[in-house]
Amino acid sequence: MEIKVLFTILISTIFINNYVLSQMLGLCPFLGVSKKTDSAIGMGLAVIFVMTLASFFTFIIYKYVLVPYEIVYLRTVSFILIIASLVQLVEMIIEKVSPALYQSLGIFLPLITTNCAVLGVAVLNINSGFVTADFGLIKSVIQGFGAGVGFTLALLLMSGIRERLELADIPKNLQGLPVTFLTAGLLALAFLGFSGMKI
Amino acid sequence: MSNFQEFTKGLWKKNPILVLALGLCPTLAVTTSISNALWMTLAATFVLVCSNIFVSLVKNFVPSHIRIPIFITIIASFVTIVELTLKGFQPEVYKSLGIFIPLIVVNCIILGRAEEFASKNGVAASILDGLGMGLGFGVALFILAFFRESLGANKLFGLMLIPGMEPSSAMILAPGAFITISMMLWVMNVINSRKG
Amino acid sequence: MTNIGKSAIILGIITFISAFLLSHVMRITYPEIVRQEKEKEKRALALVLPGYKIGEKKKMNINGKETPYWIGEKEQGKDGKKEKVRGIAFITASPGYGEDIKSMVGLDRNGTILGISILEQLETPGLGARCIEVASKLTFFGFIFGEKADEEENQTPWFQEQFRGLSITKKIKILKKGDWNPGMRKELLKENAISAITGATITSRAVVKSLNRGIVVLEKIKNTPEAKEDNK
Repeated sequence: MEIKVLFTILISTIFINNYVLSQMLGLCPFLGVSKKTDSAIGMGLAVIFVMTLASFFTFIIYKYVLVPYEIVYLRTVSFILIIASLVQLVEMIIEKVSPALYQSLGIFLPLITTNCAVLGVAVLNINSGFVTADFGLIKSVIQGFGAGVGFTLALLLMSGIRERLELADIPKNLQGLPVTFLTAGLLALAFLGFSGMKI
Repeated sequence: MSNFQEFTKGLWKKNPILVLALGLCPTLAVTTSISNALWMTLAATFVLVCSNIFVSLVKNFVPSHIRIPIFITIIASFVTIVELTLKGFQPEVYKSLGIFIPLIVVNCIILGRAEEFASKNGVAASILDGLGMGLGFGVALFILAFFRESLGANKLFGLMLIPGMEPSSAMILAPGAFITISMMLWVMNVINSRKG
Repeated sequence: MTNIGKSAIILGIITFISAFLLSHVMRITYPEIVRQEKEKEKRALALVLPGYKIGEKKKMNINGKETPYWIGEKEQGKDGKKEKVRGIAFITASPGYGEDIKSMVGLDRNGTILGISILEQLETPGLGARCIEVASKLTFFGFIFGEKADEEENQTPWFQEQFRGLSITKKIKILKKGDWNPGMRKELLKENAISAITGATITSRAVVKSLNRGIVVLEKIKNTPEAKEDNK
């Protein structure tokens, strides 16, 4: 029973409510880092990692600090500070532990602080009512992980298409951002098909 | 640059959305209706102007390596003020903007202006810069919302446009947002290339 | 080392000022937030239990969920043979396309819906969000040319209006007949059905699902002492 619920959360955050293509969160890195597939994978992995951790920590802080002391109104301030320091911490740890990984992920990490999908998933975990639900912590971590995977999926698809687009003959005024948005629109249209899925 | 130019650059030459491609998430997500777009502009401009003022005031006391967390804290405080005020006095607006109110914190326009402009300029210039950028943000949001609301919901300002017409719902969903902004950027490129 | 210390102190001061400021803003806005919520509840209650005198808000634990409910009473009947009738209102929710759609339902003791009111929804504007749309004949161009909204127009949203009179003891069906209008009431009542919002079946289904679940709540509340009194 519980496994089924978790699976539902995972599938719906990856496909049905894809953070980029249906909820329109995290668009800046989606457009900025989707020029090459290699950097898309790097950014995607970094986002999955930070989102999962951020879901875990923000949930714990919210449930065990903000709610008991009745300072829920400090939610936004505390979440963004948690995310910012988490990103900093992850960056330092990766640099010490695995320089090779740091080489490939390092440049993307500072960008994540202002990725609205990360703060978005932290706030949505609270809004989805996980705080009072059973197994709320697991649910929010799963939602964070799923959101990261969904983001990576969208980023990968986009970068694959954009690599091909480089070779295409596009009208001069459509080049660059306009055609990228047009492609994103078509991708979003395709993802709209998932919303008919019944789970 | 004169003060007047400080103000007007946000409208066209350095329009935060159409030229700098910043702050796209709220732009695309809340433009499902004109009233949402206007409230979002108001909220974001308030935060932008206030944080510009404060950043420009404290810029001399802040060591450069911790400036980002400090800027974020200042911005987040103003966002919370907006959040609480809307919740208390405009609960319907608060509900329909939903998650995008706390997400003003990570709107890159605000942090970008704090970092690029307010931390280097005086208070007066920072206020003008904030107002101009806010206005540019608002204009882009208004145009997007105009097309999406009229085509996607057959409405303007919440009032029915043509009785009996079936609106195209894709326009109100994510694909419509992407396609409309792509068309806007295209038109802008065409105009710019004619000029120069 | 002193550098780190200095940074920490500055950061600490800034966050302290921020928290101090926000706690004051909170103190100013909090009563207003509470008042707005109460007001909303009151308006919804008047809609779902029309003409009833509504009692205190109570809470009951049903299937592990705290369910707020109200009991209203009204005098009914003619020719001096008046009897007291009780109505029950409670809040029920079911996940829609956005987050949970929370609605208040008013029922009589037989499970007939007296009215529903959607309290919270975050559905797509223009699609699911039409569940709270008021059917208005006023158009945008009409407004510009100075037309006024019809005063006598029914101000209950049409989607919620069509639930009035259905029974939750049977399953409520969802038909796709386009936007509801008063002419469809008779036919739908016979089928115990509603007409879904065009293009937003998920939303319509969520509302119906939360109502179908309400039968359990009704049975439980019916058996509480205050709902039972002088109603054999």
